[in-house]
Amino acid sequence: MLEQLKEILSNKLKVSPEAITPEATRDDIELDSLAVVELSLLLKSELDIDVSDDDLLEAETVADMVELMEKRSAKV
Amino acid sequence: MAGIDIAVTGLGLVTPGGIGVGPSWAAVCEGRSGAAFDPVLADNPVRISCRVPGFDPEALLTARRAHRLDRFVQFALVAAREAIADAGLDPLTWDGARVGVVLGCADGGPGTVEEQHHALREKGADRVSPLLLPMQLPNMLAGQTAIEFGATGPNLVVATACASGATAIGTARDLLALGRCDVVLAGGSEAMITPLVMAGFAQMGALSRREDDPTHASRPFDAERDGFVAGEGAGILVMERVEDARARGAHQHGRIIGYGATADAHHMTSPHPDGAGVEAAVRAALADAGADPDDVQHVNAHGTSTPLNDVAEARMIKRTLQGDPLVTSTKGVTGHLLGAAGAVEAAFTLLSIEHELVPPIANLVMPDAEVDIKLAYSATSMPIDLALSNSCGFGGQNTVLALAPA
Repeated sequence: MLEQLKEILSNKLKVSPEAITPEATRDDIELDSLAVVELSLLLKSELDIDVSDDDLLEAETVADMVELMEKRSAKV
Repeated sequence: MAGIDIAVTGLGLVTPGGIGVGPSWAAVCEGRSGAAFDPVLADNPVRISCRVPGFDPEALLTARRAHRLDRFVQFALVAAREAIADAGLDPLTWDGARVGVVLGCADGGPGTVEEQHHALREKGADRVSPLLLPMQLPNMLAGQTAIEFGATGPNLVVATACASGATAIGTARDLLALGRCDVVLAGGSEAMITPLVMAGFAQMGALSRREDDPTHASRPFDAERDGFVAGEGAGILVMERVEDARARGAHQHGRIIGYGATADAHHMTSPHPDGAGVEAAVRAALADAGADPDDVQHVNAHGTSTPLNDVAEARMIKRTLQGDPLVTSTKGVTGHLLGAAGAVEAAFTLLSIEHELVPPIANLVMPDAEVDIKLAYSATSMPIDLALSNSCGFGGQNTVLALAPA
């Protein structure tokens, strides 16, 4: 799941790939509230995972986002 | 505001002639047309445009910023960076509160709007990008420039259609004269070459249909002209009061000594047939400069290559400026840069003054029978003490800048 998130962040949102580590915070990868909405839309369209932007805003790090994605995809 | 002396200490250009002042100025001096077949317009009734060659926003601005900025903002940031460096200013150390940004555009980011409208229709409202509005709003031109360079003074975008870039420069002059700030990044930027916008221009009958020969399509004042060719790009000037520029020992490309702005109050798109509104703007700019109309030696005309504009403007020049000024229009090379045109052409006029060189009107072979003014058939060396740059917008908005050597 980390790899899939990395791919979306770097290919679609153009975050520099070297910045995307599990420990990186949203600030570290420059994900403001607008980018978080973009990410939520992409998780749905690319991976069919429903994670709202509000939920993503509560994830502090990339690892937290991955955890969220794993939980939501397990439900399906 | 006679007696208010404003210096231009920095220039930045992104034009169909190239990226940067050097390539853009070389292209207009050589009369090298930037018009070509445009694959984006393949399904349009008119499929030619003047694109900025080799513009790679990811390389120029980073991939992340390119993703979040519409093309009209991308052009402006690249041009502003060049202008600031040219002025010898450093955004890391300047007093940002004293730096204003006044830019013009006709339309903001229609490319982003069209893309997201497509998403709305094809995928639904919940798939529209949250970046739609922050990317396409016209005021983002000045807002993003402020963010990029830490300019926290007065910040606005003016819209006078194809006069926007010139109106921005005039407005910047007023802000400096009133002491609202010490430095202004002023100019215009435009990226309107999209299928929808270009379909609209085509339906108005405004565009040249010389599709079999695009490089000769934009031909201001020529008898065979049949409309304008749309271009894209940006022009940014760093403006300061002359005493401030002198105090810091800055190089001056020239001075903006007068600004005139009027409205035709005539028709939503057609210019007044006698050019009455633009004549009033010329007279206002020269009165502002404290100069005599007969002393104008050079005019960088609006000269769009449309049948109506060029005749009306030529009549106005003939009637108003009796000193037989040498007239050029750089749109033969760049096409019509719309909201950026006035700023890009003010920059070219300042370069003409600085280098004592008037660029030719590209593609001018035989002037229209009704055009009886002195036209620049070839690049012409001449000292220039007083020049005008004319701009007119749909809606009948006219802006004229009076320019002089440093």
